[in-house]
Amino acid sequence: MTGLIILSTFIAVIVVAFAVVVQKSLPDAIILFMGVSLGSVVLFFVFQAPDVAMTEAVIGAGISALIFLMALKHFKEER
Amino acid sequence: MNFKRDISTKTYSGFALSALLVLTILNVLLQNIPGKVERAGEKLLELNAQEGVANAVTTVVVYFRGFDTLGEIAVLFIAALGIGLMLSSHSKVPHKEESNFILQKASKLLFPVIMLFGVYVMIYGHLSPGGGFQGGVIIASGVLLLLISDQNFEIPHSVISALETFAGIAYVLIGLIGLVVLDRFLGNFLPHDISEMGMLFSGGIIPLVYIVVGIKVGSEMSLIVQNLIKRNDDD
Repeated sequence: MTGLIILSTFIAVIVVAFAVVVQKSLPDAIILFMGVSLGSVVLFFVFQAPDVAMTEAVIGAGISALIFLMALKHFKEER
Repeated sequence: MNFKRDISTKTYSGFALSALLVLTILNVLLQNIPGKVERAGEKLLELNAQEGVANAVTTVVVYFRGFDTLGEIAVLFIAALGIGLMLSSHSKVPHKEESNFILQKASKLLFPVIMLFGVYVMIYGHLSPGGGFQGGVIIASGVLLLLISDQNFEIPHSVISALETFAGIAYVLIGLIGLVVLDRFLGNFLPHDISEMGMLFSGGIIPLVYIVVGIKVGSEMSLIVQNLIKRNDDD
């Protein structure tokens, strides 16, 4: 059962990461990038690395996506 | 035509990277090397027990690789400096649009909770998962929430720079005291008895260093976020 969850999360992370690359709209890509981070959080936690999971949740899914969004806003304003 | 080729290049490189990732994961999963891994972990835990810190990862990050952590903080500081140089606003122009009612009220409610959680993660870094980096970024995300909800809110630069300077100097000073007392940079000169493992006051300098790291990371990330939000719009 755990193996199934791990494997499905692996596949989901890879699929979402692929979706980030082919995505045309940048905000959507950023939100999907957050999804990749969330999947990685689950994987880190399952592989007994709660410290790394916490870092990924805070930095990957939280602040970096928000910084990307803010940068995108400024970029759109300047164009 | 050029654009199309660009997209297809991206697609192929994405495929190649995914395949590489899958192969690496399969390699890791299929390779059966329990002996090696166990021995390294046991040795690490043995060394960790001497410092009396419950969370072995914290011992590695702050103590065994404490100098690397100092370097990481320096890198973060340089990043904050670069963003500040590029984006700092000379004339403070408040945002034109008012944030909505729900955000304004909910941020007032959530901000203390986020701050408390950040400080908790920071102070309990040597006992539970988390630590200075994570706690600092959580605090910065709380500041970000206030910045989004209230246009007039701003942390004075003097406060941020004072906190950051204090934290940086404290880190180096703790390391230098260790160098003087124990002939080792970041030597654990405070009492760290193994019988106190798991208590809040345990582990000698390790929790102190992680709190200092938390203050520094929190102030730097807050500065980055504030510079990005309060940027002067020229139009």
